[in-house]
Amino acid sequence: MGGPTGDRMIRVDMTKQTAEVVPFPDAWKLLGGRALSARILLEECDPSCDPLGPGNVLVMAPGVLSGTAAPTSGRISMGGKSPLTNGIKEANAGGNPGQDLMKLGYRCLVVKGQPKDPGKRFAVEVDAAGAKVVPADAHKGKWNYKLVEDLAGSYPQTASFISIGPAGEMRLTGASIACTDQEQARHPARHAARGGLGAVMGSKGLKYVAVDPGKARVRQPEKRKEFMELSKKYTKDYLAGPLMFKHGTSSVVPVANILQTFPYKNRTEGQSPDVATLDGARIVESFATRGGGMHNCMTGCIVQCSNVVHDRDGKYKTSALEFETLTLLGSNCAIASWEDVADLDRLCDEVGLDTIETGAAIAIFMDSGGMAWGDAEGAKRILREISQGSELGRAIGNGAVATGKLRKHHRVPVVKGQALPAWDPRPLKATGITYCSSPMGADHTAGLIVNPGLPQDQWVRASQEAQLVNAVTDSSGFCQFLQPNLDDIRSYYGLLYGEEVSREQIADLGWNCLSDEWEFNRRAGFTEKDDLMPECIQQDAIGPAKLVWDVPQELVAQAYERLPLRPEMFAQKAAG
Amino acid sequence: MPVVFVPPPYRGPTGGAAEIRVDADSVRGCIEAVDARFPGFQAQVLDGQGRVHRFVTLFINGDEIPRERVDAPLGEGDRLEILAAIAGG
Repeated sequence: MGGPTGDRMIRVDMTKQTAEVVPFPDAWKLLGGRALSARILLEECDPSCDPLGPGNVLVMAPGVLSGTAAPTSGRISMGGKSPLTNGIKEANAGGNPGQDLMKLGYRCLVVKGQPKDPGKRFAVEVDAAGAKVVPADAHKGKWNYKLVEDLAGSYPQTASFISIGPAGEMRLTGASIACTDQEQARHPARHAARGGLGAVMGSKGLKYVAVDPGKARVRQPEKRKEFMELSKKYTKDYLAGPLMFKHGTSSVVPVANILQTFPYKNRTEGQSPDVATLDGARIVESFATRGGGMHNCMTGCIVQCSNVVHDRDGKYKTSALEFETLTLLGSNCAIASWEDVADLDRLCDEVGLDTIETGAAIAIFMDSGGMAWGDAEGAKRILREISQGSELGRAIGNGAVATGKLRKHHRVPVVKGQALPAWDPRPLKATGITYCSSPMGADHTAGLIVNPGLPQDQWVRASQEAQLVNAVTDSSGFCQFLQPNLDDIRSYYGLLYGEEVSREQIADLGWNCLSDEWEFNRRAGFTEKDDLMPECIQQDAIGPAKLVWDVPQELVAQAYERLPLRPEMFAQKAAG
Repeated sequence: MPVVFVPPPYRGPTGGAAEIRVDADSVRGCIEAVDARFPGFQAQVLDGQGRVHRFVTLFINGDEIPRERVDAPLGEGDRLEILAAIAGG
C-alpha cells in the first residue's frame, strides 16, 4: 500500500511515567478509531482486569482519515475496559486532538500502568519531536475550563488538549474525557462521554494530554489529486443537500416527542409537557439577541451541527447543547427550561461527566423521592458538590446503577450497567436490539434505527447492519452526522492508500471490530444474561399504544449471527 | 395520482409503508389523504395550526420547497418526499 508512511504510535507507561514513540504496524493500516482500539484491547488488555487498576489499557485513537483533507474526518475514539459496564468501551469525540495527532503521524496513544501514588497527577506532551510524561500536580482537581485556560498560558495556540475534570480524578464511573474544540478559546466541550473512561484516565494519574502539531501539514494520500476531487465533490453535494443538522441535534426534540421517544420523569412517559421550552428552536432564537450560533467543533468540518450557547448577558455559557442532554438532564428530570439544561451541561463539562448517565442518575434520585421533579437548582447544586466527595455526589457521579442502589430504587433503566439514551427502545424496537446486543451496552451511537413502522422480521437485520455501518464510521474518523456510507468510506480508503478496498473488505472491517469487542466481553465474563432489557422497560408502558419492550430474546441472540451481505447496506448512512 | 414518500421515522402510523399513492392535488391534500388512511401521520408533518413543522423538509420531484408552500399544487405522477432530521447525540 502507498499513502502516508512512517506512521507511529505512542506507548505510555504511567507506572514509570515514560512515553515511547514506536512504529505503527503496517498490518493495522486500515484500522483506526474504534476498530484500532478494539484490536489493541483484545491483544493487550486482560478482559478480567480491574478497570480502575494498573492492568487496564486506555487507548486514544483518531480515525483512519483523520488529519487528511476529507471533510469532517477528525473524530477520535477513546477505548478501554469500562468501569461502568465492566466490558469493552469505545467513546467518540470531536474537537481537534484527533486531527492534530494524525497530522504528526501518531495513529494512537496506548496508556498502561498506574502511578504508585494515587495522589500524583501527570500529563503527556506530544509534538513533532515525540512524547513525554511531565508532572501536573499544579492542575490537580481543576475543572476542565479553568484547566484549559491555565494550559493556554503554557502551550502554543496551535495545541489542543484532552483532559479530565475532578470526576475522572475521583474515578467516578460516569466520568468523561474532554477534547478541546477548534475555537480560539479551545473550549473543553467535546466529550468522549459514555462508559466512564474518564475514570480510567484518572486511575492512571493522567490529568491531560497536550498535542501540538506546530506547522504539521495535512496527511497526503497516495492518490492526492483524486482524493481532493472526491473531497470537493463530497462537500459540494453535501452543502447542496437538505443540511439536516444545520441547527444541531437539539432541533430533533419535537419530532422525538411525537414519536414517544422524549422520555419524561425517569422514562415513565414517552412525551413531555415541556417540549416547547426544551425545543432546540428556542436555542436558535436566542442567537439573535445574545450572540452565539452554529459552528464546527473540529477543523475541516462541513456539517456545523454544534451550537455555541450564550447567557442572557451575551456571554459564552456552553457548547454543543445536544438532544440527548436536553432529554436526559431536561425532560427525563422534568426540568423544563433549556436555560437550566445549558447550566447543567456546562457543569457536566466542567466536572467531566457524561450528561446522559448523569441525567439518568438525577432522574432516579428524583423518582425515589430524593428531591422534587424539575428541581433544576438542586441538580446544579449536586453537580457543584460532586468534587467535594459527598455520598450523594459520588453516587450521581457513578451513574444510574450506583444511584439506584443508594436509593434502593426499582426503576433503573440500564443495559449492561449503562443508562439508556434518549432514543427509547419501546417505540424503536430495532434500536432496542442494538442496546441489548451491542458490546457497548445501551448506546444509540452503536446503531440507531428510527423506524417505528419497521416489521418485526426486519429488526435483527436493521440492528446488525446499523451496528456494522457505525463501527466502520467510528473507525474512519468521519463524524456520524456527516452520514457517510460504506461505499463513501471505502472510496476514501482506496485513494488514501492507492489500493481499492472492496465491499467485502470494508464490511469485514466492521464485522471484525464487533467480533473483537464481543470476544473481549466474553472473556470478561459476559453471557446472554447481560443482553436483557431492564424490567422497568419491559413493564412500564408508554403512549396511547401502551408500548413496552416485548421483543423475544431470541431476536437479540440472532443479532450476533452474521447475515449475508446485501447491496443496500453499502448505501446506508451512518446514524447515531 | 401523486406519490408520497414517507421517511422511516414516520412509518409508525403507516405500518411500515414507504410509498403511498393518494388522490389529491396539493401538498396539503396529500398529507391529509395519507392521514385519512393512516391516522396519526399528519401530526408528524403539520402542527396544530396546519403549518409544516420546522424540522420537516419537503421535496417535490426532488426539488426542495419552502415550508410555507404547503398548498403547492401536485399533479399526476408527482413525487412528494418528506424528510425529517433524525439522529442525535
